[in-house]
Amino acid sequence: MGLRRCWAALALLACSSYCYSEEVFGTTQNAASTGLNWVMTEVLPQQAGLTVNSVIYRYTSVKQTEDDMLVHVQNQNAEAPGFIFRETDDWSGLPGNTINKAIPVANIPIQLWGDGSIEVEGKGEVTNASVLYSFQFDPCFDPQSNPSCPGYVDPFEMLMSEISVKDPLDDDLLQAELRRKSNLDAQEEDEEERQRRRMKSDDKGDDDRLEAIMGIVNTSLLATEAAAKHAELAALNSIPQTYFAVIPDTKYEETVVLKDGRLPENKRARRVGFAQQLLHEKMVSSQYEK
Amino acid sequence: MFKKSLAVAAATLIGMNAIAEDVTITGTVASKCVITTDTVGIYGNPTPSELSTAPADGGVLPIVRYDVLQANFYKARITYPESFSESPALSDVVTWTGDVTVAEVTDAGMSAYDNSKVEFNNVTEVDLTIAGSTWFQVESTADYGVTKAFPAGTYRAIVSADCIAL
Repeated sequence: MGLRRCWAALALLACSSYCYSEEVFGTTQNAASTGLNWVMTEVLPQQAGLTVNSVIYRYTSVKQTEDDMLVHVQNQNAEAPGFIFRETDDWSGLPGNTINKAIPVANIPIQLWGDGSIEVEGKGEVTNASVLYSFQFDPCFDPQSNPSCPGYVDPFEMLMSEISVKDPLDDDLLQAELRRKSNLDAQEEDEEERQRRRMKSDDKGDDDRLEAIMGIVNTSLLATEAAAKHAELAALNSIPQTYFAVIPDTKYEETVVLKDGRLPENKRARRVGFAQQLLHEKMVSSQYEK
Repeated sequence: MFKKSLAVAAATLIGMNAIAEDVTITGTVASKCVITTDTVGIYGNPTPSELSTAPADGGVLPIVRYDVLQANFYKARITYPESFSESPALSDVVTWTGDVTVAEVTDAGMSAYDNSKVEFNNVTEVDLTIAGSTWFQVESTADYGVTKAFPAGTYRAIVSADCIAL
């Protein structure tokens, strides 16, 4: 069982190292195919994490043996003044020939490689030039470049994780202030409630007393006013005399008695009711007839 | 007491003789001069009586490369052919000419080998004074008789390249 687990772990390790850690090596086309000056962005593949590990060049110098001639194969430094790569061949006092060189460089990142050229200093000419750059890169240098790369994060998830909603109410100072205000409000409400209760109890007593006083006053005022009004109306003689007549205090007893204690149905009324119902239904139906 | 000490010393000497052993030292020397055939030559036949490796004659120059890891330790000795290793039966004399020149270098200074080379008979010797690779091309021409046509068949000749320690 343990041995099987060990094999599985080894297989997984081998797979992961093969699948994800494989460096890609390559060589560019001849940079000097169209001339002795070239633009590196058109020569090197624009791959993140790419590094150049060697420059291989070849050219033929055409010159008289006695002439002085220097040939520089070079690349400018894209991020600083000067050159990131420069190899000089001194042909001074030598017959021309074809030179074939491979110069290793210390894995210089792509962003440092500026435009390249072959520069001739002195008398002579360079022909049949060829400049190749040997490079390597990790396809998973940017894990987001491929979903199979380790460390790849779904862009949508990444976007969601980057958007952090900041609730201004989460601020500690604000929270403290809110708590303080809430406490104050509660205290004020309690105080108001207490005052309201106190005032309510006070008002009730006052109201009762006031109502009693007002009742006494109103009664007396109304009585006085009614007496004055009555005297005035009586003086005008506009009130009929019957108004002043006294109704005898007589009790009228019930004299009608239902003999058999049973109230028979009114059949006629029933018929009339039925006829009215029929007429009603007829009228209702008639409004749906065309 | 003295006798006893002598006896102990004698025993020690006897014991030392008994455990003596020869120790071997082994070392391997790899040559720092490597010769590689870069291009196999082909004879062109510009006229019936001539075989030539010159491109102008329809031939291909054989090229041999010397890789020297350490300067000033070796010299190149290249011999152009003076006989066919394989050919139809020839009834007349073949006149051989040839030349060895530097074709390519990995250092501009190597182009001076053309000036410093030593030639005798069909042999060219060059002191390899600069570390690196040097390509030598060999030109070989064979003229048969006095403008006599070569018999039909296959002709082979051998260029010999040696690296000789100085």
